[in-house]
Amino acid sequence: MYAFTYRRPGSIEEASQLVTEAEDGKLLAGGMTLIPSLKQRLAQPSDLVDLGRIPGLAGVTEETAGLRVGAMTRHVEVATNPLVRQHISGLAELAGIIGDPQVRNRGTIGGSISNADPAADYPGGLVGLGAVVRTNRREIEAEDFFTGFFETALETGEIVLSVLFPKPLKSAYEKFRNPASGYAVVGSMVAVTDGGVRVGITGAAGFAFRWAEAEAALGAEFSPGALAELDYDDSELNDDMHASAAYRANLMRVMTQRAVARL
Amino acid sequence: MDQQTKSRAFTGRREDSRLVTGRGAYTSDQNLAGQVHAVFVRADRAHATIRSIDTEEAAAAPGVVGAFTHELLDELGFNQPQASGPMKNGEGEPLFAPARAWLAKDRVRYVGEAVVLVAAETPEQAADAAELVFIDYEDLPVVADVRQATAPDAVQIHEGAYAGNLAFRSEYGDRAAAEAVFASAPLTAKVTLNSQRLAANPMEPRACVAAYDAESGSYDLWSPNQGVVTMRGTIAARTGRPADKVRVHPRDVGGAFGVRGETYPEYIACLAAARALNRPVKWTGSRSETIITDYHGRGVLLTGELALNREGDFLAIRIEWLADMGAYLSGHGPQMRIGAPGGMAVNSYRTPVVHGVNKLCFTNATPTTVYRGAARPDASYLCESLVDHAARIHGFDPAQLRRRNMIPKEAFPYTTPTGSTYCSGDPEGLLDLVLANSDPAGFAARRRASEARGKLRGRGLAAFFEPAGFPMVEQTTIQFKADGVVLNSVSGPSGQGHETVLPEVVADQLGLDPADIAFKFGLPDTELKGGPTGGSRTLVAVGGSLRNAGEQVIEKGKALAADALGVPAEDIDFDEGLFRHRSGNASITLRELIKRHAGGEAHPLDSLGAYSPPQAAWPSGVHVAEVEIDVETGVLQVVSYLGADDFGYIYNPAIVEGQVQGGLMQAVGQVIGEEIVYDGGGQILTGSFMDYFMPKAEDTFPLQLLHHNTPSPTNPLGAKGVGEAGATGGVPTLANAVMDALSTVGIGHLDMPYTPNRLWNAIREAKAVRAPA
Repeated sequence: MYAFTYRRPGSIEEASQLVTEAEDGKLLAGGMTLIPSLKQRLAQPSDLVDLGRIPGLAGVTEETAGLRVGAMTRHVEVATNPLVRQHISGLAELAGIIGDPQVRNRGTIGGSISNADPAADYPGGLVGLGAVVRTNRREIEAEDFFTGFFETALETGEIVLSVLFPKPLKSAYEKFRNPASGYAVVGSMVAVTDGGVRVGITGAAGFAFRWAEAEAALGAEFSPGALAELDYDDSELNDDMHASAAYRANLMRVMTQRAVARL
Repeated sequence: MDQQTKSRAFTGRREDSRLVTGRGAYTSDQNLAGQVHAVFVRADRAHATIRSIDTEEAAAAPGVVGAFTHELLDELGFNQPQASGPMKNGEGEPLFAPARAWLAKDRVRYVGEAVVLVAAETPEQAADAAELVFIDYEDLPVVADVRQATAPDAVQIHEGAYAGNLAFRSEYGDRAAAEAVFASAPLTAKVTLNSQRLAANPMEPRACVAAYDAESGSYDLWSPNQGVVTMRGTIAARTGRPADKVRVHPRDVGGAFGVRGETYPEYIACLAAARALNRPVKWTGSRSETIITDYHGRGVLLTGELALNREGDFLAIRIEWLADMGAYLSGHGPQMRIGAPGGMAVNSYRTPVVHGVNKLCFTNATPTTVYRGAARPDASYLCESLVDHAARIHGFDPAQLRRRNMIPKEAFPYTTPTGSTYCSGDPEGLLDLVLANSDPAGFAARRRASEARGKLRGRGLAAFFEPAGFPMVEQTTIQFKADGVVLNSVSGPSGQGHETVLPEVVADQLGLDPADIAFKFGLPDTELKGGPTGGSRTLVAVGGSLRNAGEQVIEKGKALAADALGVPAEDIDFDEGLFRHRSGNASITLRELIKRHAGGEAHPLDSLGAYSPPQAAWPSGVHVAEVEIDVETGVLQVVSYLGADDFGYIYNPAIVEGQVQGGLMQAVGQVIGEEIVYDGGGQILTGSFMDYFMPKAEDTFPLQLLHHNTPSPTNPLGAKGVGEAGATGGVPTLANAVMDALSTVGIGHLDMPYTPNRLWNAIREAKAVRAPA
């Protein structure tokens, strides 16, 4: 780990100012990606701005538009929260199978989506559930939030405050873990909403996306069989030693079918 | 109950409460006053000439006390050439062991090779300074694997090696006889298999603490090792110091598996730095350093051919091993790759003619060494894949084909065509046990049921016969001290349970309570002779030595009892802890004699034991497994596993079972996911747990272990050794089950590891071939 200046702001305004003014500032939430990167000397920020002491960032609350999950809410809290389990069971499932117990007890939703790892679970969940990301400056639709490989729409000094999840009629999440790392090779969030079926895919490509063809097929007939003949063009999918692009395309279908089968 | 198993209630291993509650003391728990911390600058490329090394800036960085290169090692005479050893092939050509500087000199030959040692007051300062070292390289063409290395136009990694980057080439068996058989054999079968490179990944990362005492000119080293005397010898040889000026200290060892038996370059470099700085030097490797620079296991390209007559009798077997040694020879890597292929060539069968070729090959990769099974799993994998393949293509039942060719129990001790003497065994008895308990008749129905659930089902059978232990003298002492009986041995544990089972061996012999006996190991100044913990040798060798010491205790006890009872010593018998006058009622317990003669500096019953097994003992087994492969995802699941083993006399059934379970987990790791992957440029792609698969709790499977033991006549304990059996039996059994499942969709060959991605892609391609659009 390289030396850095540790900052512990008491408010979002102060945090935003500190990270903006720093030579190369980084926000620290749960630290599940950042701390290992620091330990391996893969990151060298000048300042680490710890969001852990800012009040009001954690917890799940009910609003008219859905459930608001604070940015510093730990995965384990989302997985076990009664409101989430009652209204968005797919989200509780997703949070309950992120990483391992240590990760779930430290990692946060705000940290996960801001990092935008293409193999993380939450991005697919947000996209599939049609969530809205609230920052200290604006609201961003999930589909507009994830913009590339480890890239988001967040600007310098912009900090995620919470994520608003509309309540679907029903939802389920299925993922295929990388046998080595445990990250999602492919994850699929299927949500049945008043506005139709939504399918959010993570892991398969550079960033999470909606699978329009699957949504249309499931809209016509909501059953695993409706996806049987659906072949995703894999030319844009990730291809590495753990999973070929064709295999990822197959897992998109199989994971989505398995989620549908449970709904 | 099996007559060959000691009935013993399992109350847990004595060492476990210490080890699993954080009270173990590992190398990194060792700290010395005034120590500095070392970080290594390592080669970031696989093959390059070193033009220059600039350490000036690093040496001037905050906290840095020294930045050392090969020059320090040269100066101290620490770059002693590795002895080629006595190994020679039939033409008298010796094993070529390249000279190696323990910090790279002139050229780097694999990614991760240590080039510079930076020492500083803190590990962070050393790591900061290490980034300031500048090494000017000129890249050389890279030889990334054995196929490339042996190609006609391949770059030679070492001057002086044999053509094709070979360190050694040897033959065994009868070439002409094999050629004659194959020329006229009615049936033949051939397989080429890759037993891929693996990282052993002990839970404890590699580490050392090195110190130099200027007054006595002696060196001290703490490091996770498999035997302090063995390591003391290699350090003495590499540093050119007399052995009595080197002390290696025992600590708890968090897993060894063969790779902790090596004397690594970092240890030599830290000893040199300790001497130069006159301060202790501590180094703790990271997980990635452990994965990348611990010497790797396996790494053999295996070819086998079997000749049969129409009835299925094996007529001859031809074998070739092309072993990937990496960039240099490790200490123990060459020996097993030369000895095991021939020694284990015929497995459990009466195959009369054998011919084989061994090639040890250099590549631009981390050196390889022994790892859980040490070439035995490769040998059994080759033979048993070949037998299964022959059965499949020629229409034999795999179990019946094996039975037809198995060595009958009446034939033991059996000498193989390549000169191995199998001490005892009953392969058919093992096969009977496996078949009787695994419902072979019901397999077809189970396969149909699996297929109805979208799964391919396979059943794999494999037999093995493997050597355990080797002739090497092991000395031990039994001492009777005020607070109990103390056993001393050179050989220490790395998780096997020495502290539990060896006191039990002595307790059984002397009629004492194992709880009153403590096992101590590896005193740094020990004058006892002894070898490493490895090769499944401990119970036979150390147990045999303690048995010898125990016999002396009994003889000395008879003399003391004679005095106490007033009868001649020759009239006294000893049984169950009691010395008894043969014709009268007079008796005295060993316990009483121990107490009566206590108090002096040495106890009159103290004894020094020595034992060297005359030859290897030969455990054997027949295992069967069933697997399912999910066609949709390629996920492989082991649904049942049954092992029938012959381990000779079993002293502690729970420890035996634990050893087999551990070996099986390492087997399943190799079969379903583990692999060190290099790209064509020699860069390692699996340098952390993000990419290197390890078997996890979810990969365990239903396991049943049965025994059909024939005590080994080679040693007084009748024991055989159990450390490698899980891996030696598990790799071929599981691989055969997978290939049996894949054969149902027309796949005849697929390399391990059988990852979901690899299985799904193979099944998809096979289906495309079979069902053209």
